[in-house]
Parts: sequence; structure tokens; C-alpha cells
Amino acid sequence: MSNTTIIYNEEELVLLLKQQSREAFNYLYRQYGPVLFGVVNKVVYDEQTAQDVLQDVFVKIWNNIEQYDANKGRLYTWMINIARNSSIDKLRSKGEIMKGKIRTGDDIVNNVEQGMKTEQATDTIGLKKMVAGLKPEYETIISLAYFKGYTLDEISKTLEIPLGTVKTRMRSAIKQLREIFNN
Amino acid sequence: MNTREYIESGILEAYLLGSLTKEETRQVEADVAMYPELKEEMKAIENAMQLFTTSLAKELPAGLDNKIWAALQFASPNAGDGHTAPKVIPFTPEYRKPARWQLAAIWIGLVGSLLLNAFLFKQGQNTKSDREELSAKVFMLEHEQKDLAYLLSEYQKNKTMMTDTSMQTIVMHTVQPGHPMAATVYWSKNNGVAYVSVDGLPAAPKGMQYQLWVMQDGKPVDMGVISNDMPSTPAMQKVIKSVTTGQAFAISLEKEGGSPSPTMANIYVMGKA
Repeated sequence: MSNTTIIYNEEELVLLLKQQSREAFNYLYRQYGPVLFGVVNKVVYDEQTAQDVLQDVFVKIWNNIEQYDANKGRLYTWMINIARNSSIDKLRSKGEIMKGKIRTGDDIVNNVEQGMKTEQATDTIGLKKMVAGLKPEYETIISLAYFKGYTLDEISKTLEIPLGTVKTRMRSAIKQLREIFNN
Repeated sequence: MNTREYIESGILEAYLLGSLTKEETRQVEADVAMYPELKEEMKAIENAMQLFTTSLAKELPAGLDNKIWAALQFASPNAGDGHTAPKVIPFTPEYRKPARWQLAAIWIGLVGSLLLNAFLFKQGQNTKSDREELSAKVFMLEHEQKDLAYLLSEYQKNKTMMTDTSMQTIVMHTVQPGHPMAATVYWSKNNGVAYVSVDGLPAAPKGMQYQLWVMQDGKPVDMGVISNDMPSTPAMQKVIKSVTTGQAFAISLEKEGGSPSPTMANIYVMGKA
């Protein structure tokens, strides 16, 4: 009913966060919580672990906001990266990415695709449907890099494609995303 | 630099996807700072990535906000709060060269003082964090204690009413097959006082509210709405209207604020007096 929420731009939000008030937290949680939670969930599938990681993410944002440098990039990207890195660290500490697995590319590709599928069950936004239209090989490459934290070299070995191809495929993947969102 | 080729190589995407090494990352950052075309392209990629991550948004579980807020209170950074190394007052050489034992004494004194400073500083830090932890604990205990006191007073109210001999207990059972629900009315017919407890009803959906009715000669009479804080709690609500006659009580789910007459399909529970 009373949905008259104020929307802050990134600059204002940084100032707000520096106040460390409950209002600042509520705003951050409401506006960015679902996206951060979504990103964490892409990396760690277990719901309880995802909640723990999300808590870590908020603690890190809260305590490191003084270190955020607007010249180096968007606050949004900064926060998403904290979410990604914390989740990937968690995944690694749990030993879910095993070094030996890097060679058997199929396994990972399957896991990635399964992850995508369970994800869709909770989908409410139309955007997600559009993203689902992403070509499978693009989906895989984004997942390995963005959600599993693989380096170019690791992706190249996993998928058995040359390093240069990894990068151009990344470009094509993002290009398709850009087209999806422009329509 | 051929920026066209640079862009087509996909290195900017690799950068934003986080799969470059530290060195490569630094190189890309330098390149982007230098060439506006690269910066422009980077923005476009970032936009697409932002929409992509937005599409992943997932509903947050209820209550997680309070849990995280509590965690933030505990994890507030203590680092960098005015910690400066103990200051040493410069030693001004005297006219006469000090004796060897004097130098030794001075050194011993200095080193001792440094160690003591360090020790005291550490202790001060410990006391500070201990105190913060304690005050957080006290805060939480106070809260818990308030909750408990409230709960106790509610139970006491219940008990007083149970032991009141003129008080009649009417258990209202579900009238919706397949949905086990119950609620209770405590009614003192003589003085027209009634209480209602709905701990066996689910929370009312948004925009809806439970309403109590008393059947008087086959006709439902409005006894007022039940606060939405009540379902699933042991709390009791005093019925505002005085009720001295009636053969049965019922509760229906109505739009917020109540209805002049009950929606028949939405009668949840009913019980004879």
C-alpha cells in the first residue's frame, strides 16, 4: 500500500551507508538484498549456506564502505563482486570445486545447467525468462567465470578450447545479453 | 592502440566476469582509463551485466533482515581507532657525556616504558571490546526479559479467567473440512464480559481480518474485529461489546475493518455456548 519508497542514486547511497544507521541498512537490504541473494544462490546451491554467506556479504559491505572508490567502478558492481567472491570462497572452502574435476568438463557443464534449472523454479521476474534464452555454451562460459571463479586458463582447459576463443565467446555471450535487454 | 581490435578480443568481458589475473586486471584498468572508447564499451557491458544479475533476484527469507542487522552490530569494525605508537620524548644531550651506567639505566627505562605502554594499550583494547560485547548482551537480555514478562502477563490473564467460576469456556471448532483450526471464547454471561483467543487460527492474509460473531436467535451479531497480531499467539483480546445473550460464537475472515454481516463461505470456526 505505502510503496512510496525513496530511491537513492549510488552517490547518495554511499553517504547513507556511511551513517551506519538502521535506515541505511533497511534500504540496502530492501533494494539490493534480493539481487545479492540471487547471486549467492547461483554459486552455493544450499539455502542455509546461502543465507550465511549473504550475512557475510552484508558485514563486508557495511565494514568496508569507506574503502569503496567510485572512480574504480559502480557501487552496484562492487557489491555484486563482494557477493560473488564471498560465495566462491565459501564454495572452495567446502571443497565443492575439486581440482580433479577441472579436467572433466562435462561434469561441470552438467552441474552448471542443473543449477540453472533449479534456479528457474523460483523465478518471478520476466527478465529471467529472457536470460534463459541465452545459448547453452554462453550460459556455461558465464557460469564458469562469473559464478565458479574460473580463470581464463582454467576455462580453456575445462572446455578444451583455446584461450583466445574463451575471450571471444565471452564477448559473444555478453553481446547476446545486450541484445536481449535492448529489446 | 587499435581499440576496435582490443574490444573485439573480449578482454573487457573477461575483466567484468572476473576471470583475469591480477596483472591483466591492472592492465585493463589502465587501458580503460586512457581510452574513452574503451570506457564507453565497458559501461555498455556493465549495463548488460547489471540487468543480468538483476534477473537473478531471489526473494529473501522472512526475518533474515533482523538477523543480519544483529550481526552487523556485533561485527562493527574496531580497526584504526586512533592507535598511535607510544611517543618517545627526544633525549637532549647534556653538556657532560653521561656515564655508561646512566646510559644503561636510560635504556632500561625506555624499553621498560615501551613494553608497559604496549601492554597497557593491549589491555585497554581488550577492556573496550569486552565492554562492547557485554553491553550488547545486556541489551539482548533486556529484550528477552521484556518478551518473557509480556508472555507471563498473558498467561496470568488466562489463568485468572480459567479460575473464574462464572466464566464459561467455548471452544470453536473448524467448519472448513480439511483445515484443522480452533479458537476459544471465554464468556461471563452474567456481566457480559468476553475474551477471545485465536491461537489456533493461521495469520490473516494481507488486507483481511478475523471478525467475531455471536448467534442470537439464529442471527449473527457483530462482536468486533480481532487484531491481526493475535492469530498463532496465546494472547487474548477482550471483546469490546458487552454480550449477555447468545447460543453460539463464530469467527469469519473478512476484509480489514470487518463487515456488517459475516461472509458465510469464510466462517472458519464455530462453537455452541
